[in-house]
Amino acid sequence: MSDASSSLNHDLIEFKVDRVVDETATDTRIVVLTRAGSPTDTFPIWVGAAEGSAIKLAMDTMVTPRPMSHDLIKSFIEHLGVVLRRVVITDVKSSTYYATVYLESKGVERTVDARPSDAISLALRVHCPIYITQDVLTRRSSSNLDAWLAKMESKNLGTQEVQET
Amino acid sequence: MIAQMHLKGLMFDPYNNAYIVILRDEDRSDILPIWVGKSEAGSISLALENVAPPRPMTHDFMKSILDAYDAKIISVVITDLSENTYFAKIHMMYEDSEYTVDSRPSDAIALALRCNAPIFASETVIRKQNSEELEQWLENLKPEDFGKLDS
Repeated sequence: MSDASSSLNHDLIEFKVDRVVDETATDTRIVVLTRAGSPTDTFPIWVGAAEGSAIKLAMDTMVTPRPMSHDLIKSFIEHLGVVLRRVVITDVKSSTYYATVYLESKGVERTVDARPSDAISLALRVHCPIYITQDVLTRRSSSNLDAWLAKMESKNLGTQEVQET
Repeated sequence: MIAQMHLKGLMFDPYNNAYIVILRDEDRSDILPIWVGKSEAGSISLALENVAPPRPMTHDFMKSILDAYDAKIISVVITDLSENTYFAKIHMMYEDSEYTVDSRPSDAIALALRCNAPIFASETVIRKQNSEELEQWLENLKPEDFGKLDS
């Protein structure tokens, strides 16, 4: 998209899903990723309540009576004989993250765009690694702060009267 | 026996804080209501309105994977009803073989709408589903409940 994309650092840094935190005042969850081998280096991503619970179910390796959406995707890729090699958080624009999943079948690699929540949900179910590009990590320091502020602002606007603190 | 069903609408159920997908058969004689969660209803609603969201939603992502491998959804079938829970199967064609995958009806319907695949219901399900339940529920609805889909 942008002219600068060729000069961006696309090195991949592996992250693990550490926890899913409830944002009680809003209908969102925060998925906290931590850098592999460096657990103090965290990377939060805001997701919807449904997406957060899908990730939580996968973390807890909960077996639900009926397959959830990402269990269904897992069934599909198993039937197709496809292996999910890795998922990568590739971009951030206006505090919104973008991800790509890398699929492999018969030695051929294909990529599919996804929201990070779907990519992470699926990665946890098939035990494939999760990466963030160095470029996204470099840019998060400022964009993260913006995200925080934006979220805090919208939270305070909507719930000022009912907040206890 | 199975009957082809058409999606007639999506309603908010204020009593259960859930949504109801209304399926109706071709003869318009049988109605099959299926209760789904908020995010599932949202996904079905996006497909109904043919809205392309800025980022792929879960079922768009699902379809992208199938498209990447040229796998086709032939049909989806609501197969069973037990303890108020519906079960569905998705029939998929890939490289001259047909596969059947278990699913929740909400996922099956959200995917079928995106792939233009027909939706069927088994006769057992239509027979088992107590239509009185829906009628009773509809009778209890107040006029003001109808506006709630907008919110």
